[in-house]
Amino acid sequence: MRKRHAIMGSTLGAVTLMALGAGPALAAGSSVNANLMPNPGSGVTGSGTAMVSVSGTTITVTMAATGLLPDQPHAAHIHFGADARHECPVIADDTNKDGHLNTSEGAPAYGPVVVSLTKTGDTSPASTLAVDRFDTAPGGTLTYERGSIKVSPAVATAISAGQSVVVIHGVDYDKNGTYSGSVKSDLDPSLPTEATDPALCGALLAAPAGGMATGDGGAAGGINAGLIALGGGALVAAAGTGAIASRRSRISVR
Amino acid sequence: MTDTPSTGGRRGKLVAAAASAVLAVVGVGAVAVGIRGSDGPPAPTASSTSLGSTATSDARPAPAVSSSPVGTAPRFGRFLSASRPTMLDIASIGVHSGDFVDLDVTSDGTISVPGTAHEVGFYVGGPTPGQLGPAVIAAHVDSTQGPGVFYRLGQVKPGAAVRVSRADGSVLQFVVDKVALYPKDRFPTDEVYRGTFDRAEIRLVTCGGTFDKVRHYLDNVVVFGHLVSAT
Repeated sequence: MRKRHAIMGSTLGAVTLMALGAGPALAAGSSVNANLMPNPGSGVTGSGTAMVSVSGTTITVTMAATGLLPDQPHAAHIHFGADARHECPVIADDTNKDGHLNTSEGAPAYGPVVVSLTKTGDTSPASTLAVDRFDTAPGGTLTYERGSIKVSPAVATAISAGQSVVVIHGVDYDKNGTYSGSVKSDLDPSLPTEATDPALCGALLAAPAGGMATGDGGAAGGINAGLIALGGGALVAAAGTGAIASRRSRISVR
Repeated sequence: MTDTPSTGGRRGKLVAAAASAVLAVVGVGAVAVGIRGSDGPPAPTASSTSLGSTATSDARPAPAVSSSPVGTAPRFGRFLSASRPTMLDIASIGVHSGDFVDLDVTSDGTISVPGTAHEVGFYVGGPTPGQLGPAVIAAHVDSTQGPGVFYRLGQVKPGAAVRVSRADGSVLQFVVDKVALYPKDRFPTDEVYRGTFDRAEIRLVTCGGTFDKVRHYLDNVVVFGHLVSAT
């Protein structure tokens, strides 16, 4: 998995060029979704789902999560980096070995912020810590829906290719109901690290392609392939030729 | 007999080499199933084989809950935290199964399917039943040996109840909105796996339509439903 991702990352330049050449067609109409799970070491027990649809260089994001610290701003972003692993961090990414993953420690997994999932105004990385414009998870439940978010062609291509990651930030290690503690944020020393450490994370991936192979014909109309393989002489001996004739006539359908 | 798919050829040879008494028994069994299954699995009634033709109820109420809407909070229908399904009940077609297996995207980009026709597959790349978005559950319509768990899925009607029990002890009631038959080569991926993503929904998928010469069903039956209650 990681190997495949690494290869995809290294060829992103080429993919981007193709996307530019082909115009919006490559990304048009595609969508990806994520299962948001607790970040390792976050102490969070919540969960969520997110869906991003891509149309050219415009995206629509729909997201819901439960089990977050209530009534506190939860910064949320789409992350992507060409050199990242395009996945959520694991506890081995805890380079300072404090048992928690801060946003920077997760970067090798998910890369930098490419979209800030603000409720109003700017959605660029410049709004990464625009705490007054993120959802505050009333009752611990975050809901988010926003369309017409403009992204670069490279970002649109990466999202469609399943290489981006949604991260919702804001944890409560000491369970005191608010962002606190002496450890400062790696992103903004005026904030406690609880305010910016990742809480929930999920890679945005494409759905399976095509239909499902959920039948082998043992009860199919007319053919019953398995039974024919089984049967042969047995059918002739036990059932006579009438059944065989009718079965053959149905095989020729289609 | 097992439900293991794709053993028809080998099994045929084995059976052919067996004693004639066994042949007679197998033959009778095969004919019995052959007759019973001579029309194949039930298809959705209001849809023949055309793309996206459906039996549907206009069962899309205004989004119900949304927990404490604030400011620009979207009006989502009710949704729950993640929890895996443990039991599926569709009383109207006699489905009662807790034999869940995980389904995921395979290396060729398609979805894996249950290894046997008595198992029910849960797509782990999507929401769990009750979370925002569509939870996808798939099972075989049949094996090489006979009917599978979802043999009668095409008989499900709009308005029918689908009950899902989850690992957290909750019991979720979904109502069927639509039953449709789609050619596999025009499978509505976005509608099945994403939908409008504004309430908790469910998808039940199996095979249907014509069983072709290379031993494939050409269509998928898809049941669409949404969450109405959770206890």
